[in-house]
Amino acid sequence: MKLPDWLWGVWCVWLRYFAVFVKSLPYYVVTTFLEPLLYLVSFGLGVGSLVGNVHTQGTELTYRSFIFSGVIAQTVLFQGFYEGAFGAFVRMYYQRIFQAIAITPITLTEVLWGELLWDASKATVAAQVVALIGVLTGDFPANALVTLLPVTFLSSLLFSALGLAAAAYSRSIDQLSYPQYLLVFPMFLFCGVFYPIDALPAAFQAIAWFFPLTAVNSLVRTLTLGLPFQIHSIAILLVWLVVLVTVAQRAMFRRLVR
Amino acid sequence: MQATSQVPLRVAQLSKRYRLRAGGFIDAVSDISFDVAAGECFGLLGPNGAGKSSSIHCISGFYPASAGRVFINGHDVYAHPKRARRELGVCSQEETLDSDFSVFDQLVRHATYFRIPIPTARARATTLLERFGLSDKAAEPVESLSGGLRRRLQVARALISEPRVLVLDEPTTGLDPDARRMLWEVLAEARAGGTAILLSTHYMDEAERICDRVAILAKGRILDIDSPQRLIARHIARAIVEEELRPGVIWKRPPNLEDVYLKLTGSRLGVEGL
Repeated sequence: MKLPDWLWGVWCVWLRYFAVFVKSLPYYVVTTFLEPLLYLVSFGLGVGSLVGNVHTQGTELTYRSFIFSGVIAQTVLFQGFYEGAFGAFVRMYYQRIFQAIAITPITLTEVLWGELLWDASKATVAAQVVALIGVLTGDFPANALVTLLPVTFLSSLLFSALGLAAAAYSRSIDQLSYPQYLLVFPMFLFCGVFYPIDALPAAFQAIAWFFPLTAVNSLVRTLTLGLPFQIHSIAILLVWLVVLVTVAQRAMFRRLVR
Repeated sequence: MQATSQVPLRVAQLSKRYRLRAGGFIDAVSDISFDVAAGECFGLLGPNGAGKSSSIHCISGFYPASAGRVFINGHDVYAHPKRARRELGVCSQEETLDSDFSVFDQLVRHATYFRIPIPTARARATTLLERFGLSDKAAEPVESLSGGLRRRLQVARALISEPRVLVLDEPTTGLDPDARRMLWEVLAEARAGGTAILLSTHYMDEAERICDRVAILAKGRILDIDSPQRLIARHIARAIVEEELRPGVIWKRPPNLEDVYLKLTGSRLGVEGL
């Protein structure tokens, strides 16, 4: 079967990234999987042994289970954002790969979709590996590996788009520190990775729900730990996804095309 | 202006206007038109800021034109970019080599963007590396190449799709004389095979030597178009011009394309009798 031209263009770009990934597999395995594993061991086993159980949304959970599911959300945030921001900035600014491909039959729109989908794919695989560890340790049900997939992929796409937008707006690679410290770290610390956000004052909870990582945490914990489904999480995730993908594409066009 | 399948490259009333950050606009390219025939080498000459690179960005379809159209083998590059660019090879002024791949692999990878089957791409890459004297570097990473070798590789990459139209933006910048001559030979072979070549260059001797026709650009406008010989005859009245090489040393020589360029763009730079 022959792919339509536009889909083939996106696929071709994705394959280019995959070929680079395969060539440097040991490096990528370390940088992609080691960080979430360290969080799992440190917070799951270390802090988990001190904290005991957690009560949230009328449910009691072990802290290890709670943090394992939080690390899934943290993984999509970090892996998606860093690949979209730093990886894309290097490819766009230093290597000029976007510019080189976009004067072939592959259009810039397809290049950017290929970039986003690759970044999201890589983050999704990393998050699913964390989920697999949760299944193997008995913290998550086995079917979570399948049911989680749409959530990990869409949220990876969302944070990759955040990274790509940051790359498009940054004049130098140092400027990527702004979104890193002003958006990514606050989300990491205040959106429910380490503790239930209902432990926060009401005003802080409202602010936390504004950021997409809270919605991702909520959906992941529903699917892995059986916490009550909060339907607004899906709306928040999808709205942010559409907004950030649109902003990232437009910003990158403005950056590259005069 | 109509697209005709006989003309590999047709540029029709192309204009490019940039919005300035401080407000207002600047016209980088103003209403330029020309055709490049099969087997023809057409040169774009002009000082820095004349609009050469903006023209090439628009011709490749990477930048949208503010007005006008570009046809590559009859395909409108803005309306049908995929069809048009399948016939187009571009070597841009900036280095855009893919440093994640070796010399050989990146030619093959680039060919896949044109939907060229891998075995065909590998055969073409082998031939091109041999032709450009890069065979012994095939397995090496791009970073290990000198600036001149990288430039050669970038031109080789533009040829991997065997394009009907080849656009080269300052291709010989940074090349030593040997490499320049080798590139001229490669371009002559491509022309013999019917490829239309659009070349932007600062080197007047290069334009005079390899271009059938040249357009002299200044401030985004074409000042004149013709063969180098006819331009010289039209714009330089004398059979001999005198150039002061250094104080007290006058060189008498036949006029050349550089004299035309200097006269039309308003620079004299010590050349007398133009």
